Amino acid sequence: MFPRVSAILPLRPLSRFPLCSGGSEAAIVLLGAPHGTVRTKNNVQRNFGTNSVNYSKKDEQSAPTHGISKETESQESVKENTKKDLLDIIKGMKIELSTVNVQTTKPSSRRQRKSVEATIGSLQKTLEDAPKKRTKSVSPELEAAASAVADFLRFDKQTTKSELLRQLQQHEEVSKTQKDGERTKISVSNIISDMKVAKSATGRVSTRPVHQIQFDEGTDSLMGQKTDDLKKSLRKNMLKGKRLNIFYLKTVTEEAPKTETAPSLWDVEFAKQLAMVNEQPLQNGFAEMIQWTKEGKLWEFPIDNEAGFDDDGSEFHEHVFLDKHLKDFPKQGPIRHFMELVTCGLSKNPYLSVKQKIEHIEWFRNYFNEKQDILKESGIRLN
Amino acid sequence: MAAVAARRWLRFRCKVCLTLTGQRAGPCGQAPNCRDFISCRFYSGSATVPKVERANVTGIEEVVIPRKKTWDKVAVLQALASTVNRDTTAAPYAFQDDPYLIPTSSLESRSFLLAKKSGENAAKYIINSHPKYFQKDIAEPHIPCLMPEYFEPQIEDISEAALRERIKLKKVKASVDMFDQLLQAGTTVSLETSNSLLDLLCYYGDKEPSTDNHFQQSEKSEELEEAAEENNEKPKKANHQFGNLWRPENNAERIFALMPEKNSHSYCTMIRGMVKHRALVQALNLYTELLNNKLHADVYTFNALIEATALSAHEKPEDKWNNILELLKQMAAQKVKPNLQTFNTILKCLRRFHAFGKVPALQTFREMKAIGIEPSLATYHYLIQLFYHHENHSKGSSLIIYDIMNELTGRKFSPRDPDDDMFFQSAMRVCSFLRDLELAYQVHGLLNTGDNWKFIGPDHRRNFYYSKFFSLLCLMEQIDVTLKWYKDLIPSVFFPRSQTLIDLLQALDVANRLEVIPQIWKDSKEYGHTFRSDLKEEILMLMARDQHPPELQVAFANCAADIKSTYESQDGRQAAPEWPANSLNSIAVLFLRAGRTQEAWKMLGLFKKHNKIPGNKLLNEFMDSAKASSSPAQAIEIVKLAGTFSLPICEDLARRVMADFAISQEQKEALGNLTSLTTDSDSDSDTSEGK
Repeated sequence: MFPRVSAILPLRPLSRFPLCSGGSEAAIVLLGAPHGTVRTKNNVQRNFGTNSVNYSKKDEQSAPTHGISKETESQESVKENTKKDLLDIIKGMKIELSTVNVQTTKPSSRRQRKSVEATIGSLQKTLEDAPKKRTKSVSPELEAAASAVADFLRFDKQTTKSELLRQLQQHEEVSKTQKDGERTKISVSNIISDMKVAKSATGRVSTRPVHQIQFDEGTDSLMGQKTDDLKKSLRKNMLKGKRLNIFYLKTVTEEAPKTETAPSLWDVEFAKQLAMVNEQPLQNGFAEMIQWTKEGKLWEFPIDNEAGFDDDGSEFHEHVFLDKHLKDFPKQGPIRHFMELVTCGLSKNPYLSVKQKIEHIEWFRNYFNEKQDILKESGIRLN
Repeated sequence: MAAVAARRWLRFRCKVCLTLTGQRAGPCGQAPNCRDFISCRFYSGSATVPKVERANVTGIEEVVIPRKKTWDKVAVLQALASTVNRDTTAAPYAFQDDPYLIPTSSLESRSFLLAKKSGENAAKYIINSHPKYFQKDIAEPHIPCLMPEYFEPQIEDISEAALRERIKLKKVKASVDMFDQLLQAGTTVSLETSNSLLDLLCYYGDKEPSTDNHFQQSEKSEELEEAAEENNEKPKKANHQFGNLWRPENNAERIFALMPEKNSHSYCTMIRGMVKHRALVQALNLYTELLNNKLHADVYTFNALIEATALSAHEKPEDKWNNILELLKQMAAQKVKPNLQTFNTILKCLRRFHAFGKVPALQTFREMKAIGIEPSLATYHYLIQLFYHHENHSKGSSLIIYDIMNELTGRKFSPRDPDDDMFFQSAMRVCSFLRDLELAYQVHGLLNTGDNWKFIGPDHRRNFYYSKFFSLLCLMEQIDVTLKWYKDLIPSVFFPRSQTLIDLLQALDVANRLEVIPQIWKDSKEYGHTFRSDLKEEILMLMARDQHPPELQVAFANCAADIKSTYESQDGRQAAPEWPANSLNSIAVLFLRAGRTQEAWKMLGLFKKHNKIPGNKLLNEFMDSAKASSSPAQAIEIVKLAGTFSLPICEDLARRVMADFAISQEQKEALGNLTSLTTDSDSDSDTSEGK
């Protein structure tokens, strides 16, 4: 069954929404982490690059309002203001980049990485001629400020970086508020989709249009889907967080003195219940044979040369190498010769257990010891 | 001589290389396992050779000779079994039998399994109740499990050993009698034996355990449980499930009172028995008594107590939760280690608290993870049930399922809780409720990881799971993919319900792939839906709705004829439902379009017979076909028919006949009569209604 699933899976993205690819989500996650440390400038840019895919539309909406809020702040401190303006500019650049990115249709992960790199490159280029591009879409005040700060960037990259960070956070807030705005939309679309669910049993007419909407729906539901993903990725993992704090790891893990008792009826019956949990009808004849073997209805299927050969778990070599038991015998001479023949014979005998073989050798030792007189007479030395 | 020596040396060298590469390729690879066979022969005389090699070539990693691998006794069978895949065109292996007996619907498959199992049980019963006739031992070597078992006590005299034997054989009444006799005789029964007697009495609630038909019994209890869960019933319903309730003053209580000395085991088993048989108040009281006697409860008892607390009536969820927390604190204070069942019991009980239970449930879950108790599938099942209790609330539906699936994906499970087999069903239910196909694939992927498929549960749960899954596929997936799944899953995994097939039909309609319909009808006949009128109406409606190319119309007409025959043969069954007017209409239209005019006309006859009214569209189509065959007689027949039903369309039809056909004077008159008749009858009926 499984290979089939995987065979089917590649087909599926056709019906999915093209924009909910993994790359964009990663960017969102980075944004979502409120104080995410962005180590290098390059990194930041990369974020912008991918991020722009998602926020292109929102930025277009939010840029003007953003500008206004900045203006009010600008009265407080000029220097501060200039920095922010720069960031606005960078944001603006992102918009333009994003339009490029959107046009490239759904790159595969490898291509996406390439395109990100390309974006970084172009971003660095655009950094230099940012003011020029900016003139198209930004108010004149901002433009003036931007040209002032473009130089500033050259000198103090460190501060710019931290500003970028802060800006990222602000950006996140903006996106959040937007998201909230969109939530109402989502809920509406949810309701609609539910209506479809309720009706699908009775009226065909209603299901069909919904299907069509799902497959060729426009920007609106696209946003809905996107924010759904957003919601999923931004959301805290519900399985992590506050706990009861009654038990402590130490007390639980420490070994209690175990009193070995026979399992009570409760334990036995519980084990039986457990065994029944994953009892399934047999899948094939071999599975049936396995079950019969386990039930003891079938003789065991031989798995090696030692099938049905139970010798207290003694190993192969103990059966074959019996020389070590000949230590007490003379190193040479007819007795040695005789004993070597005996061990040779024993090592080939599959019917005796190891213990019996040793006993057999033992018997010969005793025998020769008893016959020492005769041996001496015939001039054979034992030890 | 030298050549021989050289060759031998080469052989050793090769061998060493082999083991080395095998070693690198992977410790479980084939080469190391062969070692026992080959290497003994090669190395036996000169075990030092590899060492020499290694000394020569410095810098080569050390050769670690792997331990001999011990194989399970069924290893070969397991390997063989893993080579057999599911045959998507055949019934599952369990059903393979005489072809005539292979089930084709879920109902049949169930009775098949029951019949098989009851046959086994009957045989076992006969053998065990007449062991003397089954003494012949034909197997060599001896197979003990084929011999009759002895269920009758062998020890006749009155002694503690006899009591122990009766306890072991689970003879409740005989054990109690023996205990009483022992007591009367003045013998004291040891604490251990009386404890195991208590175990027996408490587990079975002082009733004889039902004889050995586990299969039916478990099915029954599961169904009840299912019903209880689906109806969201309160504990009241649960009482039915535990057929025997704890009777006050029963033998367990009597013996417990008679016992001269009691240890904590005696108390614990009593408490567990009371909770199991729903004597909740007594259980909690007995726990106080246990504490008063300065004894400690074990973890199982605490689990039972938690259950008792949660089930106890007349209390608010908040109070119950506080009581549970109190119990947990006592556990911690008494240094009782909680186990999986502790937390599962809590979560299971929290399900009853509905909305209130969510926060405590999450905290409980985190607690168990924090102290290193791995949740089982049942744990997640309880969470899902708690968070997706009200299916109707789509707004703000929880997203916890995503966390759960993220955590579980790729894991393999072993059974650890009796409810472990509920997880997949409830996860798929949530997927279907969230309409999330992605998630459904994820759940299905988890099901197919390792041996996880074994957790899908008994037959009805598997059907539920796959029905939900397939319906979701029909709703969300591309039709080609859906059809692939259809081929894959049906019938080798489950038999579809009629609703499943209707879902598929609707998907086909949406994707404009109506040509598959005759095949679906064939299948549904096979799966026992021949007499499902909703399915048949759906099929007919879809086929008749639009015009199609001629070949397809022919196929549709054949299918329609087949469906028609099922309506007719239905007379054989009792209480045959009537022909629905829609089906009559559709079948007639289909015949007409396929050019089977005669049969279509017969259908018109059926309208009269069953007192149903043909639709305007149908009559128009009949008129078209009459025109096509330029048969004014037929046209007039249609007008007549419309007249007999007093349809308002009658006049229009008559006008069409006048205009489109060359008709004789006679026929014209007849037409005139008809139309006037209808107007007359119309006015008649009007007046009669007016009166």
